[in-house]
Order: sequence, then C-alpha cells, then structure tokens
Amino acid sequence: MNGGWRALLRLLAVQGTWNYERMLGVGMGYAAEPLLDDLKTVDPARHTEAVVRSTDFFNCNPNLAGLALGATVRAEYEEVPGAQIDRLRTALCSPLGALGDELFWAGLVPALVGLAIVGLAFGLGWWAVAALLVVYNLIRFGTAVWALRTGFDAGMRVGSAIGTSWVPRAVVRVGPMAGASVGLAIPVAAGWYLRGFGLGGAVGALAVAAVGAAIGRWFGTALTSVRFALLAMALLLLFRWAGL
Amino acid sequence: MTELGPQAALLLVAWGTLVALDLVSVPQAMLSRPIVAGTVAGWLAGDLEAGMRVGVLLELFALDVLPIGAVRYPDYGPATVIGAALAAGSPWELTLGLSTGLALVVAVLGGWTLQMVRRLNARAIQRRAAALAAGESGAIRRLQYGGLARDAARGVLLSSLGLLAAAGVAQWVRLDRQTAVGLTLVAIGTAVAAAAGGAVRSAGRGARLRWLVAGAAVGLLLAVLR
Repeated sequence: MNGGWRALLRLLAVQGTWNYERMLGVGMGYAAEPLLDDLKTVDPARHTEAVVRSTDFFNCNPNLAGLALGATVRAEYEEVPGAQIDRLRTALCSPLGALGDELFWAGLVPALVGLAIVGLAFGLGWWAVAALLVVYNLIRFGTAVWALRTGFDAGMRVGSAIGTSWVPRAVVRVGPMAGASVGLAIPVAAGWYLRGFGLGGAVGALAVAAVGAAIGRWFGTALTSVRFALLAMALLLLFRWAGL
Repeated sequence: MTELGPQAALLLVAWGTLVALDLVSVPQAMLSRPIVAGTVAGWLAGDLEAGMRVGVLLELFALDVLPIGAVRYPDYGPATVIGAALAAGSPWELTLGLSTGLALVVAVLGGWTLQMVRRLNARAIQRRAAALAAGESGAIRRLQYGGLARDAARGVLLSSLGLLAAAGVAQWVRLDRQTAVGLTLVAIGTAVAAAAGGAVRSAGRGARLRWLVAGAAVGLLLAVLR
C-alpha cells in the first residue's frame, strides 16, 4: 500500500472540512489522495472517477474512517464498479459511526478522563494528564493503523472483517469501564473541591448539584447543564446584590 | 488574574488555538479536553494549581457532552484556557466561580463559532463543486487547508477575545469574599450535576449503569475517607 503513512497522517485531519452537506467527504478525499496516486499512471480515467467518489458524502467516527478508506481504495484498484463502491461507502457510515462513537466518545474517552480526574485529585498532578494523553493516543493511533490496513486487506469484504474483529468485543467491555471510571471520578472530584469549604459549603454545593440533576431530568435539553449553571450564578449575584 | 506579559499572552492564545483545532479538525488528540487544556494553560499562566482546578471543573461539564454525528455542543477547550488564565494568581476558592462563569460563556460562543465554520466550509465546497466533480486533487487540498485555516482563525479569535474579556473581568469585577466563595460553590454544584446527569444518561439501564453505581459508591467512600 504505497502512500499508507501519508494517508494515515492525513486521516488525523479527516474532519478538517467538516460540514453539514458532505460531512467527512472532502477530508476522506484528501486522505485518499496519496493512496490513489498509483492509479493515476495505470488508469487515469479511473483515477479521476475514484477521486470524485472519494470526496462524496461520508460520515463515521474519525478514528475508524481508515476502514472505509482502505476498503474503497482497494476496491478502486480492483476495478469494482463505481456504483458498488458508492453503496459500500453508504453502508459503512452507520456501523462505523456507531461502533466508533461507542468505542471512543462514549467509552475510552470518559474512562480515561475519569481516571485522570481521580489521579489529579489524589495528587498525581501532571502525570495524570500526561498518562491520559499517552494512553489515549497510543490506542487511537494503533486503531488508525489497524483500520487502514484491515480496510485495504479486506476490500469489499470489509463488513465481515469488522464483524469478526476486536472492535465489537471492545465496545461491549469499554462501556462498563467508562461507567465505573466516571462514577468513581464524580464524588472524588467533588470531595477534592469541597474539602476546604467546611460542612456548610459542602451541603450548599451538593444541594445545588441535587437541584441541577433534578432540573436536568425534568427539562431535558431545554435547560442544558451550561444554561443551568449560568442561571444559578446569575441568581446568586442578583441575591447578593439585593443584600440577601 | 496574574498580570500576563506579551509572551505569556501570546503563548496562551497559541495554546487556545491549538486546543480549538484539536476539538474537531486536527489532530483530535484530546488536547481539547478541559483537564488537559486547563493544566497546560495554568502552567503557561504561572499557576498550575489554578489550571488544574479550572480544568477538572470544566471537564465535569464536558462529561455531559457526547460529541457524536452533527450534534451541537459548547467548545470547552479554549474556554478552559481563558478560565485558567483568569483564575491564575489568586486563591482558587475565590476565583473558581467567576472563572467558570466566564469560561462557560466562552464555551457557548465557541460552540456557535464552530457552526459558523461548518457553514463556511459548506459554502467553500459549493464554490468548488465543479472542480470536485472534475476530480481535481488541487481543489481537494485547497478546500482542506481552507477548512483548517478557518478553524485556526476561529481559535485565534476566540482565545484572543476571551483573554481580553478575562482581563476586563479581572480589572473591573470586584466581588466580596462571601459572593466569590458562593459563586465557586455554585460552580462546583452545577458541574457535579452536569457530570452526574451525563453519566446516568450514557449509562442506560444495562451493565454500564451497574458499574456506574459501583464506581460512585467506591468514589464516595474514597471522598469521605480522605
């Protein structure tokens, strides 16, 4: 796979042109460019078609985009009909989005962030933050390398390659890990902040937290956590200004 | 707020820009997580402790966000940099509330500017639709670099204006001790509510919820025993 490393680096910026029309489309085209270079000399007409296809609408989790990229590039070299490649791209959007979001945004990120919060609260300082960055980026970059290789090796059979890979199994395991980690982090962080304020301060802050949680359940997205926080702060300032 | 020299201010704007780019465009290396952005910003502003305190608190807010698909969310990265800069140099118990308040406003603004960038990206693509349809590699590269440049400009603007706002707040907003502490407690309470709400929503009703409850029980024990 010539241009593999360049494509891999370009995949880091796959959302660089994110928009509501083509979503990752142009970013995928940009990442595909070095992989399609060899096709230019062999079959220039096919190369042009492949470049056009590579920039069409596409959306998935950016960390698994390499699977789709590798598979479609392989299909272009194997002269699979264009309509079939388009269908493959469309078919990959949802599973790669769902698996990647569950694995990274809902799983790995909160799991590692929760541990980093606990580490900071227990006095690890810089090390907790550095560990978060190193572990996350090792997993993320390793996944990107695996995804591009697996996609390219599997070509049009990428669906079954994903199904039998480690990804679905990891998704099942990482969710509970994230739950435990975030669950651990919230009271530890609260304790870290509230230790210096005495019982009255702690009770006050926890009362605000309880009201916030209840209001969040009641109003849903109409009153987001940020709006509630700004509203609560504004009310406090108003009460203090009024001398209460 | 520590009085920042031009060099420190420039470094904070540069860090804020990098962090803004990291959220969506490149490299998505988790630099934009508040816990990371705040710690580094605190170090740059000469007060690591303040940076960590602001970073962890805004991280609790960020745990309420699941950045999937085309969902709209606040941009906590540059906001945390601004919050850490404002909190630096004073006891965190007195500045955390005000810093968090300003950071949340910047975060909302940041989320709005992200939508603007996405719309501008779409317009740029429409302008080059013919070149894309002809398979011109140069057009793809120009669009990509243009998108990155727009997001970088967003980061520079957000960080610079945020830093100016922080300087203004430090200069003109004077709170008595009780109000400052009250704001900090409200900020802590609302952050805990945000994180808890997000955690319960993400947990659903399966194994993840059970592990969340188990983790919370252990965390509560640790918090009480420490």
